[in-house]
Amino acid sequence: MASEKNSSLERERCLTGIDGLDNILDGGIPRGNTILFTGSCGTGKTTLSLEFLVHGALAGENSLFISVTESSDKLTRNVIPYDFFEESLIKKGTLVFVDMPVVYERLGLTSVEFSLEDVDTLVRALGNLVDELSIKRLVIDSITSVCYRLKTEEKIREFILKIGKALSNRGCTSLLISEISPSADRYSLYGVEEAIADGIVLMGNLERRGDLLRTLQVVKMRGTTHSRAKYVLDLTPAGVLLVPLLKGGSG
Amino acid sequence: MSGTTSIGIQELDKALMDGIPKGYTILVTGTPGTGVELFAKQFAAAGIGTENVTYFSTTERDEDVKNAMKEFGWEQDIRVVNIGKMYYEKVLAKNLEISRYRQEGLKMKDILQYKAIPADQAYDINFLTTLTYGISKLKPPFRIVLDSLDFFLEYYEESDVLSAMRTIKAHTQHNEGIALATMLKGVFSNRIESGVEDIVDITIELERLRDGSKYKRNLLIRKVRNHPEKTKILSCTIDKKGISAKSM
Repeated sequence: MASEKNSSLERERCLTGIDGLDNILDGGIPRGNTILFTGSCGTGKTTLSLEFLVHGALAGENSLFISVTESSDKLTRNVIPYDFFEESLIKKGTLVFVDMPVVYERLGLTSVEFSLEDVDTLVRALGNLVDELSIKRLVIDSITSVCYRLKTEEKIREFILKIGKALSNRGCTSLLISEISPSADRYSLYGVEEAIADGIVLMGNLERRGDLLRTLQVVKMRGTTHSRAKYVLDLTPAGVLLVPLLKGGSG
Repeated sequence: MSGTTSIGIQELDKALMDGIPKGYTILVTGTPGTGVELFAKQFAAAGIGTENVTYFSTTERDEDVKNAMKEFGWEQDIRVVNIGKMYYEKVLAKNLEISRYRQEGLKMKDILQYKAIPADQAYDINFLTTLTYGISKLKPPFRIVLDSLDFFLEYYEESDVLSAMRTIKAHTQHNEGIALATMLKGVFSNRIESGVEDIVDITIELERLRDGSKYKRNLLIRKVRNHPEKTKILSCTIDKKGISAKSM
């Protein structure tokens, strides 16, 4: 993946703060990239993305978590036990949680299927929030749930392109969480998301000698060289730890 | 039937059955400017003192209804149920707010100030149900004014409105109350106009014709249940005392 333009190598990086991941990415996510974090359920997508935001907030970068399916109250309760989490970040407003259903409600996006105009409305509203709060890191958990309301490939493409552009123009590094079934042969439910994103991080489960391991693999990342090896991901109270997956043995 | 009650216009009472039999449902129709809403208020005033008058308003505010009655020198001791206001509060105000967020952008405080509607209230209000429920709770002797059916025909299926009208008619008939509904003429399909007219017992149409440099007003008794011989055209005058009629 060293075929990127030379100038892109100089791009400013957004340190994820996650042990191992910044090394895999050769110094972090190129700032302003929109990354698809994809995997089946239980693979650690939400935890990892939260940790990405918390590290940003600790470093003074305002971070926004947009929760589509789970209420942010419940989410914060789940994340409190982690060592890396500090409640003061929320109080100070450096780490902000927003429930997407409230955004929908406020904008009158109540129909089951969004129109192209609705897509624009939603992108504009998210842009407003990013501007108002000077957000530098953003997570949408999950983009798949938003896509359910978009239905057609055309609208999904429009949404991902526009949201990616809106966020990147604002210098905001974003993780779009995508849900796929464990057996899926692609990286996103609709196939459109993966083609448009600046990067794809695939998270999965791997059964080895009776244990179910969580794995992480950077499939694509524009603007940096990176390893494409599969890593084992360990969710510890101290946060996510990544170690290379040992090859060989009885797989 | 136990007697009759006044419709509010003496000559019209005479032309009908010396009043209207209790249990009857009346439709008043006409194009805008013919005095349909005024007719509704005059009808409401005629029941004060002998009947519990409930006025379901879909466009006017409570005070507009009562002020108009006051201007014509009528009593105003009626209960106004304001469906229009409820519609504004539950639907239109929300739409206005949404258009503001869409135009001016969404702010964090708008998100923080959002109060979720409790799950048991998170349903769309059916104002047609609100209307029929409100009517079903009325205690006889009652007089109902529904001004106007247009609101319901605009927002709900025609068949649902007709079904609500049948419910209102049945309740009025059973309790020997009296009900009047207004509907604009020429706005809805013939099918719906005929449908409503078929349900009611009496249909009155107010008509305004141009006569040189003046308007000539007529009051058409278009339908009287079982009394086709009573259908006729009266001439009609509107002055500071309200609507009056005269045989031609």
